[in-house]
Amino acid sequence: MNDSILMQIRQFSIIYVLLLLVLLVMKQCHIDRTKQLLFSSFKMTVQLMLAGFILTYIFGSPNGIFTALYLAVMVGFAIHRVLNQNPGLSLRFKVIIALSILVSGLGILAFFVKVVVRESLLNPQYVIPLGGMLLGNTMNSLSLGIKTFRESLSGQRARVEALTCIGAKAENILRPFLLQGMETAMLPTLNNMAGMGIVSLPGMMTGQILAGSNPMTAIFYQISIMIAICTIVTVSSFAALYFGCRTMYSKENQLITL
Amino acid sequence: MALFYSGEGLRAVGKIIYPAISIEKGDMTFLTGPSGCGKSTYLRMLNRTLLPDQGQLFFEGKALPDYDVLSYRRKVLRIPQEPFLFDGSIQDNFNRYYETAGYSVPYADAIKEALELACLPISILTDCATLSGGERQRVFLALFLSFMPQVLLLDEPTAALDETTATLFFTNLKKHCLVHGITPVCICHQADLVKAFADRVICLGGAQ
Repeated sequence: MNDSILMQIRQFSIIYVLLLLVLLVMKQCHIDRTKQLLFSSFKMTVQLMLAGFILTYIFGSPNGIFTALYLAVMVGFAIHRVLNQNPGLSLRFKVIIALSILVSGLGILAFFVKVVVRESLLNPQYVIPLGGMLLGNTMNSLSLGIKTFRESLSGQRARVEALTCIGAKAENILRPFLLQGMETAMLPTLNNMAGMGIVSLPGMMTGQILAGSNPMTAIFYQISIMIAICTIVTVSSFAALYFGCRTMYSKENQLITL
Repeated sequence: MALFYSGEGLRAVGKIIYPAISIEKGDMTFLTGPSGCGKSTYLRMLNRTLLPDQGQLFFEGKALPDYDVLSYRRKVLRIPQEPFLFDGSIQDNFNRYYETAGYSVPYADAIKEALELACLPISILTDCATLSGGERQRVFLALFLSFMPQVLLLDEPTAALDETTATLFFTNLKKHCLVHGITPVCICHQADLVKAFADRVICLGGAQ
């Protein structure tokens, strides 16, 4: 961090000039989203500044409780976002989703920090940014996966009924929908991995290089985080959909509730 | 002993109350009655894809919950009113259905035989997207008939068929059931077909 280029507030503010370009294009194309653009930019600035102040404080006076609290807020927000974007699920399905994010998120983060990086589990400098990246990706992928599962299943009442009538197991009837949800959840991460280094230099790596790290160190970190993201996305979407599906029928009656 | 039996007061979907009903083995039984009187609901309860709110149904003297549900549904097979076919050919559909139910895929000859039974002697490679509503219904019927259950529950199987094809279908069905010892239970709104093919008619008056 000491070698990084310190941007002065005045210099930093110049980046906002680019937003004028966005506004100009929107005006030319009659896209009436000016308010949204301004609000989103403002909200992002305030949220990140706030996060900056909090992180500066936490890093300045490292305390395990602050790190745990920050992590709890991140997990809570990720769960809230996934559930919020998927209304109409049963309470049991929601609990399964929350547990999938919690267990896979914290488990893989702990493995990454303790086993790979070999740092303390409560070291905020590692746990918070890595946790943010892992949970952020889990949140986006799982939202997409659950949404695809729900949407592909809705309107399939005749299919479910016909297959139930011939004595097919509820698990077998739901499997194609589960796989579709999982594929959708995993696809962005897999695409991202394939294009990495050619199409883009990823954010984490760019940040480290800008902060003065050796590019090879940045690359090792990036590879590790990508594998961790791929694992967490796969594990959490599998757990949420596999165990979530099981809440949709009873083993005894094999009747699927849509 | 009746093949199926349910005592008076059987209640389903909150409001439908049934009289005592018994269905005999080997008879071609028709359920008739006005719309909404609970004919389809009764068929659904018979193959345990709907559970009664109150009362019990019996198959061969044993209450339905005493059977393993999946093997029971294969034995007492219900053909739903609304056909469902996957994208792809007729053969693809047979394969998908059989695989989902955990069976090995059927031979081409068995599929052809089932199609002929359902009055649709066309190629098994025909793309289902090109079929008419009546043809889709017949593919669906052929699929279910090919499973060779002990009891066949048919919910308005000829609703999308013209009179001649409907008569031919029931003729084939009755013969097929007789040869293979299958008991058919049908819901049908065409009175002339009921009169021509029924061994027994159960009229549900709509006791609600």
